[in-house]
Amino acid sequence: MTPPASVPVLSAEGLSVSFDGRTALSNVSLELPRGRIVSIIGPSGCGKTTLLRCFNRMNELVEGAHTAGAVRFEGFDLYAAHVDPVEVRRQIGMVFQQPTPFPKSVFDNVAFGPRASGFKGDLHALVEEVLSSAGLWPEVAAELDAPALALSAGQQQRLCIARTLAVKPSVLLMDEPTSALDPTATARIEALVHSLKGTYTVVIATHDLQQAARLSDLTAFLDGGDLVEYGPTETLFTNPRDPRTESYLTGRAR
Amino acid sequence: MIFLRYHGKVGTACAVGAWTATAGLILLAGFLAVRGWGVLDPAFFLSSPSRDPGRAGIGPALAGTLWLALLTVAFALPVGVGAAVYLEEYAPKNRWATFGESVVVSLAGVPSVVYGVAGLAVFVRAMGAGRSILAGGLTLAVLALPVVIATSREAIRSVPDGLRRAAYGLGATRWQVLRHQILPAAAPGIATGSCLAFTRAVGEAAPLLVIGAASFVTFAPQGPGDPLISLPTRIFAWTTHAQPEFGALAAGAAIALLLLLLAANLAVLAARRRMRRAYL
Ligand SMILES: Nc1ncnc2c1ncn2[C@@H]1O[C@H](COP(=O)(O)OP(=O)(O)O)[C@@H](O)[C@H]1O
Ligand SMILES: [Mg+2]
Repeated sequence: MTPPASVPVLSAEGLSVSFDGRTALSNVSLELPRGRIVSIIGPSGCGKTTLLRCFNRMNELVEGAHTAGAVRFEGFDLYAAHVDPVEVRRQIGMVFQQPTPFPKSVFDNVAFGPRASGFKGDLHALVEEVLSSAGLWPEVAAELDAPALALSAGQQQRLCIARTLAVKPSVLLMDEPTSALDPTATARIEALVHSLKGTYTVVIATHDLQQAARLSDLTAFLDGGDLVEYGPTETLFTNPRDPRTESYLTGRAR
Repeated sequence: MIFLRYHGKVGTACAVGAWTATAGLILLAGFLAVRGWGVLDPAFFLSSPSRDPGRAGIGPALAGTLWLALLTVAFALPVGVGAAVYLEEYAPKNRWATFGESVVVSLAGVPSVVYGVAGLAVFVRAMGAGRSILAGGLTLAVLALPVVIATSREAIRSVPDGLRRAAYGLGATRWQVLRHQILPAAAPGIATGSCLAFTRAVGEAAPLLVIGAASFVTFAPQGPGDPLISLPTRIFAWTTHAQPEFGALAAGAAIALLLLLLAANLAVLAARRRMRRAYL
């Protein structure tokens, strides 16, 4: 039985992060509804990446990072003492700003996650399934053994998405997934993200306001580590409550 | 000078240095070849040292050096790479780590004869290994260790962070990230640096002389417990004879040693190419 839609998949409560004592995120609280696309916008350095990385405990890989507050996934505290971050990352997948294919074959890239978590089923079927979901199957089906680094940047990023889907997460964190890509490749990724809606809860950080407007149901605006405003995308874009949001959207310097 | 136009002053100095070094090497090899070529026949590689220079050979010494190389790599590679992995991926980056790093760096500069003195005290006496191949191999391993650690650390550090992040992001454990991403990516660098350390160690005579390499063993060592003999100490022993025939033997043995180390280097080079190709 799927829980009612009103229960958020992920929520942050009073979340603060500092790096070597310097605050990167202060007292952020927000709830991510199931099956929706949520975008996080804000100027460079406002804490988008940091917030995403709190959701799957990647910040703790950074020396000097300190996290306070709570993150709940399906109601459970992700930062509780008994929680294994490895397990968290299998539930909550991440796609990075730069495409980072492993220097291995296309197949081995996709198979890496399932192998790491001891996948017992039909690996070939899984690889085909997620490559199809990522819209990459027709392009690579004939050369699964080819090196992933030989793919174009856009294909590499779709491979990275497929690779993340192969672990069967329920949440997908995407950190500016198109910022390194040309417009055509960007459009393909956006279409892909759109097709994932409903099946996955997607959180996408972006500095591209049009992208946020096109893709997301909800938008959060971060500035200087503060969550300034969070709400339905349309409302936030057409009728922002906070003057800081408005000046960011209209491109005026504060 | 014709170089000056192309390279400028510093460039010219470097070019002159490089060409001088190359010329020196060619001269050295040529001298050895002229001196030692005559003794290089199959019997030379198989027979034992003898008072009769016409019958003497490097058989046991060559076998000893092969054993020493095997033991040195078997000890120093896992320990060195393990230490590098620990320092780079596990140890907290604090004052102790910095201290440990500077110790390793200074150990790399300790003269080899000092390692011999330490090996004599620790492996030969305290550990009771005696003047054996084992004691020699352990001493050479310790000698090679600082460079193996330093180059392995460098290789591990140069693995792009994005690779680590991506693997962790897919729910890989620390060990899986290490085993499937970091070590394969660092392997070519580790191989190159370690090969240099090992060829240097295996070519050393001084520490083995201090430990007490036997100079007149007439049978090839069958295992680590047998008396310590090696090619470099064999060469040294022959150079101490007055008769010129023994000088020729020393030159011949030096050629054999150089060929051996060259072969090792080429093997590592080939392996590294394969690794890089498999990797891309
Ligand atoms: N690994 C890190 N070490 C130190 N400071 C960091 C690190 N990562 C991010 N920061 C700091 O945290 C703040 C937020 O960064 P980030 O989350 O990357 O912003 P964004 O993704 O919105 O550009 C910045 O001031 C940045 O300098
Ligand atoms: Mg960022």
